[in-house]
Amino acid sequence: MSRDWAAFDRADLQSAVGQRRGNGLDVMIALDGMHCANCAARAERALGTDTQDVRINVAARTLAFHWRPGDVQLSALLKRLDDAGLAPQLLARSDADTAAVREERVAKARIGVAIVCAMQVMMLAWPQYTGAVPDAGIAYLLRLAQWVIATPAVIWAGAPFFINAYRALRQRQLDMDVPIALALAAAYLPSAWRSYTGSGEIYFDTATMFVALLALGRWLEQRTRRLAGKRVRQLAGRRALTAQRRVNGIVESVPITALQAGDELLVAAGDALPADGLLLETEADLDEALLTGESRPVHHSVGDTLLAGSLNVGAAPLILRAEKVGTATVLAQITRLLDAAQTQKPRAQRVTDRIARHFITAVLGLAAFGIALTLLRGKSGDAALDVALAVLVASCPCALSLAVPAALAAATSRLSARGVLVSNAEALLALPKVDTVVFDKTGTLTENALQLSLIEPLGSRDAASCLQLAAALEQGQRHPIAKALLRSAPNAPSDVIAAAENGGLHAFFGGRQYWLGAPEHVPVQLPPPPGVNTGETAIVLTENGKPLARFFFTATLRPEAPKIVAELQAQPLHVEILSGDSADATRALAGQIGVKTYAARQTPVEKLARLQALQQQGRHVLAVGDGMNDAPLLAAADVSAALPDGSALAQARADLLLLGNSLAGLPLAIAAAKTAARRIHENLLWAAVYNIAVLPLALAGLLQPSLAAAGMSISSLLVVLNALRPGAAERAFVTGVSV
Amino acid sequence: MTSLYLLIPLGVATVFGAIGVFIWAANSGQFDELDAASRRLPDNEP
Repeated sequence: MSRDWAAFDRADLQSAVGQRRGNGLDVMIALDGMHCANCAARAERALGTDTQDVRINVAARTLAFHWRPGDVQLSALLKRLDDAGLAPQLLARSDADTAAVREERVAKARIGVAIVCAMQVMMLAWPQYTGAVPDAGIAYLLRLAQWVIATPAVIWAGAPFFINAYRALRQRQLDMDVPIALALAAAYLPSAWRSYTGSGEIYFDTATMFVALLALGRWLEQRTRRLAGKRVRQLAGRRALTAQRRVNGIVESVPITALQAGDELLVAAGDALPADGLLLETEADLDEALLTGESRPVHHSVGDTLLAGSLNVGAAPLILRAEKVGTATVLAQITRLLDAAQTQKPRAQRVTDRIARHFITAVLGLAAFGIALTLLRGKSGDAALDVALAVLVASCPCALSLAVPAALAAATSRLSARGVLVSNAEALLALPKVDTVVFDKTGTLTENALQLSLIEPLGSRDAASCLQLAAALEQGQRHPIAKALLRSAPNAPSDVIAAAENGGLHAFFGGRQYWLGAPEHVPVQLPPPPGVNTGETAIVLTENGKPLARFFFTATLRPEAPKIVAELQAQPLHVEILSGDSADATRALAGQIGVKTYAARQTPVEKLARLQALQQQGRHVLAVGDGMNDAPLLAAADVSAALPDGSALAQARADLLLLGNSLAGLPLAIAAAKTAARRIHENLLWAAVYNIAVLPLALAGLLQPSLAAAGMSISSLLVVLNALRPGAAERAFVTGVSV
Repeated sequence: MTSLYLLIPLGVATVFGAIGVFIWAANSGQFDELDAASRRLPDNEP
């Protein structure tokens, strides 16, 4: 299907899909048809030399480029990509996204500058420590050089700490940034003065190292949350950008920003709905997976309310009267909620903040105590300053503040390399405590795809020829039933053109009229044949209005499910199945994978009640699901996991996303979380022991600030290296599982 | 050792040059996708 891209030459629409830079536009688009490096090369060839700064991300299936209006029309570029089979989708630009990109770039630049400066200052400070300075002039020059190099690191790279500390103090609060800012100032300002006068110890190496390590720790901490947020926004960004508006029988292409309530909109087969509204004139089948997680198409009658973001998967275009447009649509509201959830500070973080406040008060008190003690012992003000600085540096929570984020970041990146995306790093802290796993059935333990299980001939033709007829009718259709039929009959004739009629598909050939659709639309209702569950999906084929055959479909068990469930039970974890499906189907499935506790015909409310009952017994529950039916369950569970074939909603609410459409990531995530928990314990223990050992020395004035800085750096390094160490249980998976 | 009077300022200037290049690289998006390059196959086509 070739789409009309001409609308993208309109200036108002272009500003919605790209960011102005200079004369041109930075455009980011999704290429759904790009699966490999070869496709990436194809995309590059399709763009040719007409664009600049082409960046392709095969993993995220995105293409970014800079486009200049003079070179070529944007619509022509899009058409070229479309013709190359890459299925371009313009991503609506989210302001949050570009702001996040800028922020991320500045954060990286700050870390880099701090590290470069720290290394240089260290090198220039070395002659001083070893006593290898040839003469006083060189010594003075070396100190000046350290001052000059340390300045951008402390002032620019360390700016966030000063700003945060100032904000906290203005609100009469103490947070981690206050002693950090204080230590930085206490190291930098006297050193600058002493560099100028040429006498006294200087601590530029301490200050720069401090900034570098702290900035790195902070960035690691924030990265995990941002990564997941980006994915969610990419999904939410896949909404329509243009709409076909019908005015007095003439159809025109307009940007969705120009839509108004009451407009009549034409949505072509395969396109996303641009607005919430009422269905007019004809019936329609919609894929509402983005909003509800229901992967099967939903049939709608005239007058039904449809939601923006749904896909028209029927064979014919549908007509919609817009009721809510733009930011009023349900999709836009969900996107806003997601954005809000992403920026919220997690609960554990708030607890840490509270503990940190006590810790900080103690540190500041100790530093003041150190100054008083040194002065009372009759030492100089300089010596007192050294003691205060040594206390601040030695007790700096560098190792402490790195302990948790470094372990979580290591686990997150190891998991994402093997197909488990952690959208909520806190879930890794909760995962080791889990003792119960609750599975949804459909789409979780079973495949999303359906399989043809039985053909029941009702007329004169045999099963095989009925299958050929049905498959011929379904040619080119995309919903799971069509896929199942076409898989079973790959050689079906492909020249039949079927049209949507009466909730199904119909076509004439060989002088006869054939119709294929849901049994509800056939006047004669038949009981299911023996051995078939009432809950199974069925469709009917008719010839000249008389039933010819019925087709039954079942969902198949995921091939890896029995093995994964057995692994979980061996941990040992208690495994339960909560299914919305019939008792027969659920019992059969539970037997297949060896699960003793299961409940069938569960409504979302009943599932939630069961989960809460388990939690009241003191159990920690991991819920695994796929869609909207599970959303309450996933939200209420201690930890949630989703298979992202479901919906954006389920993805947003789940802590763990199992990519690669496989459950294999589940035991892997548990192993990684257990390793992370162990590393965090080790690291916190080390940081505590180190601080307790060093603080008395610093207080007594026995610890030079530079030594304190060196010790702190080594301590931080140990913590990071330890955090990166994978656990034994996890290593076992490296060879066994391919996710 | 008098050469140090020249070399140390020169070293400092070089560091500032490096900082400038680094900030430019970060701002032009060079570090935006650090893991993308490792996922690409070598393009041997002419």
